[in-house]
Amino acid sequence: MLAEVGFATLIMALAAALYAIVASVYGELRHQEGYVLSGRNAALLVTALLTIATGALWLALVQQEYQIKYVWSVSSPAMPDFYRVTALWGSQSGSLLFWSFLMGVFSAGAIVLNWRSHRRLMPYAIAVMMAVIVFFLGIKIFIENPFERWWIMPDLPRDSQVISASIMPAGALTPDALLLAQSAQGLNPLLRHFGMAIHPPMLYLGFVGFLIPFAFAVAALASGDLSTNWIKASRRWALIAWLFLSLGLILGGRWAYDVLGWGGYWGWDPVENAAFLPWLIGTALLHSIMIQEKRGMLKVWNMFLMVGTFSAIIFGTFATRSGLVESVHSFARSGVGFPMFFFWFLMTLISVALILWRRSRGELRDEHAFTSIFSRESLFVLNNFIFVALALVIFWGSFGAPIVSELFLNTDITLGKDYFMQVTPPLFLALYILMGIAPLSAWSATSLVRLGRSLLVPLLLTLASVGLFAVGGMSTPVALVGYGVVLLAGWIAVYETLRGIIARQKSHPETVLHSLAQLYRRNPRRYGGYMIHLGVTIIGIGIIGSTLFQVETQRTLAVGESLALNGYELHFDQFDGQAISEDGRIMDIATMSLWRDGQKLATLRPRRDFFPQTEGMNSMTIAGAHSTLENDFYVLLVGWEALNASSATFKVYINPLVNLIWWGSFILILGTLLAGWPRDILPERVRQSRPVTLPRGTKGALS
Amino acid sequence: MMRRMVYLLPVLLLLLVWSGAVQAQRVVTDDEVNAIAKTLYCPVCENIPLDACGTAACDDWRYEIRLQLEAGKTEQEIVDDFVRRFGDRVVGTPQDPLLRAVALIVPLVGIVAALGLALYVFTRRTPKVVPAAPAATDKYQSILERDLAG
Repeated sequence: MLAEVGFATLIMALAAALYAIVASVYGELRHQEGYVLSGRNAALLVTALLTIATGALWLALVQQEYQIKYVWSVSSPAMPDFYRVTALWGSQSGSLLFWSFLMGVFSAGAIVLNWRSHRRLMPYAIAVMMAVIVFFLGIKIFIENPFERWWIMPDLPRDSQVISASIMPAGALTPDALLLAQSAQGLNPLLRHFGMAIHPPMLYLGFVGFLIPFAFAVAALASGDLSTNWIKASRRWALIAWLFLSLGLILGGRWAYDVLGWGGYWGWDPVENAAFLPWLIGTALLHSIMIQEKRGMLKVWNMFLMVGTFSAIIFGTFATRSGLVESVHSFARSGVGFPMFFFWFLMTLISVALILWRRSRGELRDEHAFTSIFSRESLFVLNNFIFVALALVIFWGSFGAPIVSELFLNTDITLGKDYFMQVTPPLFLALYILMGIAPLSAWSATSLVRLGRSLLVPLLLTLASVGLFAVGGMSTPVALVGYGVVLLAGWIAVYETLRGIIARQKSHPETVLHSLAQLYRRNPRRYGGYMIHLGVTIIGIGIIGSTLFQVETQRTLAVGESLALNGYELHFDQFDGQAISEDGRIMDIATMSLWRDGQKLATLRPRRDFFPQTEGMNSMTIAGAHSTLENDFYVLLVGWEALNASSATFKVYINPLVNLIWWGSFILILGTLLAGWPRDILPERVRQSRPVTLPRGTKGALS
Repeated sequence: MMRRMVYLLPVLLLLLVWSGAVQAQRVVTDDEVNAIAKTLYCPVCENIPLDACGTAACDDWRYEIRLQLEAGKTEQEIVDDFVRRFGDRVVGTPQDPLLRAVALIVPLVGIVAALGLALYVFTRRTPKVVPAAPAATDKYQSILERDLAG
């Protein structure tokens, strides 16, 4: 029943989305309000239908309806209920449905919240949003249907009697429920982790969230309303999407660190990079739209960045879901390969053509020109170029070079960590420098002397910090330079916030915390931005520390033996083999104690989980880790004697400062929330009851 | 002199054989194996470094690295051997000079082109004075709204 409900609602959603496109555009072109309203209502209906379809699949997973092929392939009777819920995004067709559902939710949100304020853009924006949803619905209905059921065809030869189809074929029988339950595959072991409950939804929310600003951008191009309206309509949506994308990337890194068993959090894998590319272009966009808002400049560039961000999202989805990452030739073998490629190509082509058309008509002309290389807009443009350059070199390493070499040089190549560690660090360092300096410069023009004066204190603080590191024993020049550059950006963020607090305190008798809160309340974009920069600085410190100073060793120990590493002593206490968990996994667990300076710090239990019922990748290496702010002592069980387990092989990592990455990420998220929190969330009368008066002398700090 | 040489020759030969045997039986640590495996990618799995890959095939390849190290091969010789057998996809940057050049020069050209474009934007665009229409409109709008509110 749930399969039928789900499939029927998908078809109805497709019809409603198509109608919404036609009615919205026709109504707008013919100035017939009735059609526009009808299109809007149809778009809202799409969201409702997608909610029912997604709910049906979720319910099928929870109720263990194994006659549905998707449920059978991603769950099993032994699986805990928690993973039944997360299994919705455990495989391709379910995750595509979840994608569409989130797109529907975002679209409905944009329609409800922006209908009155951006009425002129809405019909075209609805058409764009629905066009993307139509594509994804088409993929689900015709290629990756999550509601297909298992059927037995008794008339066919024995080895092809079991088939899957959405609608019951003539002469088909339903398979035995018990047999289906016994043979159910269960969720991919790598996805049985708490991080996987949050990481994919966050990433999807980030991807899907960028649909809204993209839709407004295309709507502006189509309607001819090329003022800053589309930016006003989409800035907050872009920030929300960026926030979720950042969260998704961070949680993905944490998941890799916990589950993939190689001691790192970022492997420059094409799938990771596919999610990083839109983040890079989206970050450039978030900076450059400020220039258009403030100075009416970079109109063409912003359009390209917006289209580039969403294009990167669809390309990444195509690349990772089509098999392109494995081989340029395998995407043709995947059902979604060609349609996704065609959609990405067509969507990008139409968007770029619209931009060029409007540009050729002189409708995207800037209102001001660059006047100084040190003006804020010039430095933001430079920051944009570096973000885009980073995106290009990462795209080249992940997709460009492997595709070109396979297609034209008839050979497979992999550009791995070596390549990325050669080309990206200089660009990242340049970004950190600009991240620090750009907020100090003024709009329109800044003299070098003024910029130098603003830089003096943070620069001295940076030099003092680096000097302390050197005196403390750090002798690696690369690390000292890296820390210097990263710390400069952090000190500038801290110093500027302190200046704001001091300026407020001069005229307000209040505590420091209250002053700080007032700064965030009065100018959330500026001070939220500084908090984001501080978070990125802390992440940078963590990345430099854990990359340049990671210590690693692999040793085979007998029970009772120890290994010494950098002042730590790791003692192999016990081995418990073949322990069976509730969900059916078989666990081999080593119990180890970690000592330092004669004191026991922790008991670590690195283990290897084996999932006997799962085909393909069916084991998982779970690290035992002792985490402090100073470092992570991270142990992996990589091998053991099969018969008596009297000895086992361990890979041990000391990852200095790695936890700063997670703490810095937390600050980054907090800063983004502050910067993007709607100020007008309070009712009008509440806001008006507290008149805002700027004290004298605080203009510079609060502007 | 010649007689002394005749006595010394077997001693020297023995020393040579002994040192060769010692070198051939050199104990290779897991860390030495992993240091090389880290620079290689699993030839069958996608984008997984050989030191981190958990498949049985990768265990065998790591064992091969150990044997080659024990046989006295250098890191470069071992890497070259893997590239010869499995192609340039087993290394993070290709060993083949043409492929290496293509892989590394293209992004550099991209960066230089982007910087050139940035310079062009800054230097070739003549500053133009545009009437501050939006500002005037904003100002007008704020006055209007104030009047309406008042």
